[in-house]
Amino acid sequence: MELITQIKDVLLPESVMVLFILLTAILSFLLGSQKQNFIFYVSLTGVALALVSLSFADYTVEKQALWGSYVSDYFTFVFRIIILVGTAFTLFLTKDYVENFGRSKAEFYFLLLTASLGGMLLCGANDLVMVFIALETLSIASFALCGYTKLDKLSNEAALKYLTFGAAASAAMLYGFSFIYGITAQTNLGAIAGLLSTYEINSVLIIAFLLILAGFGFKISAAPFQAWAPDVYEGAPIPVAAYLSVVSKTAGFAVLIRFMTLIFPEAAIFSVILATIAVITMTAGNLMAMGQQNIRRLMAYSSIAHAGYILLGLAILTGEGITAMTFYLITYLFMNFGVWAAIELFALATGKDNIDDYSGLGIKYRYFSFGFVLCLLSLAGIPITAGFFSKFYLFKAVALAGFWYMPVLIIALINTVVALFYYMRIIKVIYLKPPAEIRHEHVFKIAFPVKAVMAVCVIGVITLGIFATPVIEESRVITVKQDQKVAVSR
Amino acid sequence: MQYLSLTLLIFLPLIGALIIWGPWFAHNEVKIRRFAKGFGGVIFIYSLFFLAFFNPAKEGFQFEQTLTLPGGKPWLEPLGSNFALGVDGISLLLIVLTTFLVLLALIASKYSITKRHKFYYSMIFLLQTAILGVFAAKDLFLFIIFWEIELIPMYFLISVWGSGRKEYSAMKFILYTFAGSIFMLAAILAIVYYNYLQTGIFTFDLTTYTYMKAFAYPTLLGILAFLGFFIAFAVKLPVVPFHTWLPDAHVDAPTPVSMLLAGILLKMGGYGLIRMNLQIMPEIMQILAPLVIILGVINILYAAIVATAQQDLKKLVAYSSVSHMGIVLLGLGAMNVAGVSGAVFQMVAHGVISAGLFMIVGVIYLRTHTRQIPELGGLGQNSPKIMYFAMIIALGSLGLPLLIGFAAETLAFYGAFTSNVFSGFSLFDVYIPVSIQILTAIAIIGVIFTAVYILWMFQRVFWGNIFHKWRKFHDASPHEMVVLISLILVIVVFGLNPTGMTDIFGPTVSSLMKLI
Repeated sequence: MELITQIKDVLLPESVMVLFILLTAILSFLLGSQKQNFIFYVSLTGVALALVSLSFADYTVEKQALWGSYVSDYFTFVFRIIILVGTAFTLFLTKDYVENFGRSKAEFYFLLLTASLGGMLLCGANDLVMVFIALETLSIASFALCGYTKLDKLSNEAALKYLTFGAAASAAMLYGFSFIYGITAQTNLGAIAGLLSTYEINSVLIIAFLLILAGFGFKISAAPFQAWAPDVYEGAPIPVAAYLSVVSKTAGFAVLIRFMTLIFPEAAIFSVILATIAVITMTAGNLMAMGQQNIRRLMAYSSIAHAGYILLGLAILTGEGITAMTFYLITYLFMNFGVWAAIELFALATGKDNIDDYSGLGIKYRYFSFGFVLCLLSLAGIPITAGFFSKFYLFKAVALAGFWYMPVLIIALINTVVALFYYMRIIKVIYLKPPAEIRHEHVFKIAFPVKAVMAVCVIGVITLGIFATPVIEESRVITVKQDQKVAVSR
Repeated sequence: MQYLSLTLLIFLPLIGALIIWGPWFAHNEVKIRRFAKGFGGVIFIYSLFFLAFFNPAKEGFQFEQTLTLPGGKPWLEPLGSNFALGVDGISLLLIVLTTFLVLLALIASKYSITKRHKFYYSMIFLLQTAILGVFAAKDLFLFIIFWEIELIPMYFLISVWGSGRKEYSAMKFILYTFAGSIFMLAAILAIVYYNYLQTGIFTFDLTTYTYMKAFAYPTLLGILAFLGFFIAFAVKLPVVPFHTWLPDAHVDAPTPVSMLLAGILLKMGGYGLIRMNLQIMPEIMQILAPLVIILGVINILYAAIVATAQQDLKKLVAYSSVSHMGIVLLGLGAMNVAGVSGAVFQMVAHGVISAGLFMIVGVIYLRTHTRQIPELGGLGQNSPKIMYFAMIIALGSLGLPLLIGFAAETLAFYGAFTSNVFSGFSLFDVYIPVSIQILTAIAIIGVIFTAVYILWMFQRVFWGNIFHKWRKFHDASPHEMVVLISLILVIVVFGLNPTGMTDIFGPTVSSLMKLI
């Protein structure tokens, strides 16, 4: 009886997801190979219902489920919305991409929903065991998704690489958990936080922190755990690459924020480590992106660089930093999915993904190129787009954290100049080079779901930029709640 | 009065850009151009109304406007930023200069723009929105937004319709300016944070930092913030070590875009120096005045000498721009009413004159397809009208009395000469008696160089016998006449009657100097 109350109050969206995961699994062998596309609508309904069910529960107060291993609060609410919207975008991107999958189409939706379920659980996980299970659910489903085009050599390479890295990272993280458990003899994060608040920082805690950071750093592709990203993004099916760069990353950041605010106290050493990693991540990502010829590899490095910027918000250990991170992740959802939708549309039409292949797109497809360029400019942080506002808000939070963060801020600002260079390179090819011949031009007319995603993303990029106030206010509510919770647990 | 909305003025060009860019507008070159010219004219006339209803005697900003979200909430509450606009004498003058030059550039586009017209005219209008926004912003955050929006249309204008190494130049332009602007961003965040520490109020409102400043900045923070602003504006102005983007961008841009680049974009740098460096941190400006003045003198002399050696007409004009911007720097460094007035006057004067010079170069290039001075000669025989127009503009550029350049330069040099910001400084315990008077005297040598390169260029291009290959060189067409005559009118009218212009910005400059 208690479980039912918990499901009604806390785990309703997750339950809906589980239901629809089972439904897709059953339907995938019940339906003939001609009707497999029907599963797309089923899974889309599932995601939509999960979104709707999110609104039923009351998130102003914190609620626990599964004997304290899962909490539902405003923080989880916002991050689950990001994950579900990202999943919906991915589903739309998949609709026209399934032709590349050969005979087995339905399992893709099954795996995608499972990964999202893992991500949603990760956002609210409040127990070391729960964190691990949720992370593995997300990871293992992602490994399979990466290698989904099984006849493609690159896809196989991507899956294998992702699997090896992921396994190593999980192992390191688990080892870090064992230290935490050794210190406190607790697995519940709240209990651990209470015990650690009187615990003096020593080398064991720092080692545990570094090992756990390895596990989450792999998910958010922070340096030095970023090496998988370019190969995976290049080899994996495009919807999966988009999914990994946004949804999987958002889940990773959610759990990292929870860990930083709850378990690791506000000590200078953690701030220094995180700031160093953030700076190295963004610099490495931006520098390596400059020489890329393949747009998917470039986007991989760009997403590494953005992980660096976002980590900066965590490194400063202030509430404003977390507000800025949340706002950044919300805008990143739109701008990155916009670019990936454009990449997919182009890849569907031509089968190519080198930057030079985009030549002359601006002359032939004005509106498509306009949207594409707008999303790229947003990633570069040029104003009136959402990317500028989120970056500015983040930098403002860093500047307000104290004058000693100025060097970090300067490095981040210089990084934006480097980033502008490689985004402008794509824009240059699109608008300045003579048009190239595009073989399957009709794709631009028929691929409606992809175009819809792009349109939504472009509208999001513009409106989030101009009317940023309410979104930032929403993000700030999270911080306030999170701070209260930390105060209670201490 | 209540119909004069700065918001409308700023977004009118954007509306024009959307009208032209959208699918509803015909792909007809003539229609697009006519509409663009008409729309540019409407914007110019609308901006003139602001000038008519402007009250120079009033201190502070006028036509102030603050947009709020429904419910009376500020535009970006969590950032402490507002959509606040306002103009004073200096910015209003530059706004009118902008609308005027954009209109002329639109007229001048007829011959030099031959492809992708929809894209071109919408980009010009987008550029105009950004520049007007920079001049009208009364909020530091808004200032940065418009400052950076301006990069994108300029990138396309140079790289799509330019010539030569246009993509390289455009990329250089955008990276230089963006790299400069990040220092401004850091400086703005630093002073906003300092203000937050002192007063507990987090705001980007410009007036908080200029008119009623309740505290002085600590010297180190002040100098760092000053340098942050200075680098951003030094790239834009440009000041000599940061000037290398300018010759490339000017040479490779099409004629109308060169006119806008030299005429308005450089003024954004000068405007920023007045608005931010001088107005926010006058006490730091006093400390660093030697640096500003020495850079100004280097600017004047170095660019003038380099210009003398140029074979390419457009490069010569580009370097003359750099040289003339040195006078702006010198006038600002003088830190007195005459000097700053001279700087403002020089910005307007140079905007008109350099636009005219670039127009002349464009006119010649259109007919001969070369800009190399040795290949030209005797063009005056075939085209007396172009020659006389060019003569007036060139004489204005070298500062002939009764033309606009003379008034500006005299005012700036007079200000610098009568200034007492520094009379020498000691370096390693050695007193070096280099006062601002000596530096000004050195800078005035630059004026001689200006006369040398301008007159020499004019002589080589227009005088003598015309080469056989240019025998079909024809005289100015009506479009070019309109552009050149409008510019010459401004040059002559305000040269004869400089008080007509100083009346507008003089009181603003005086109240600005009261801060010190």
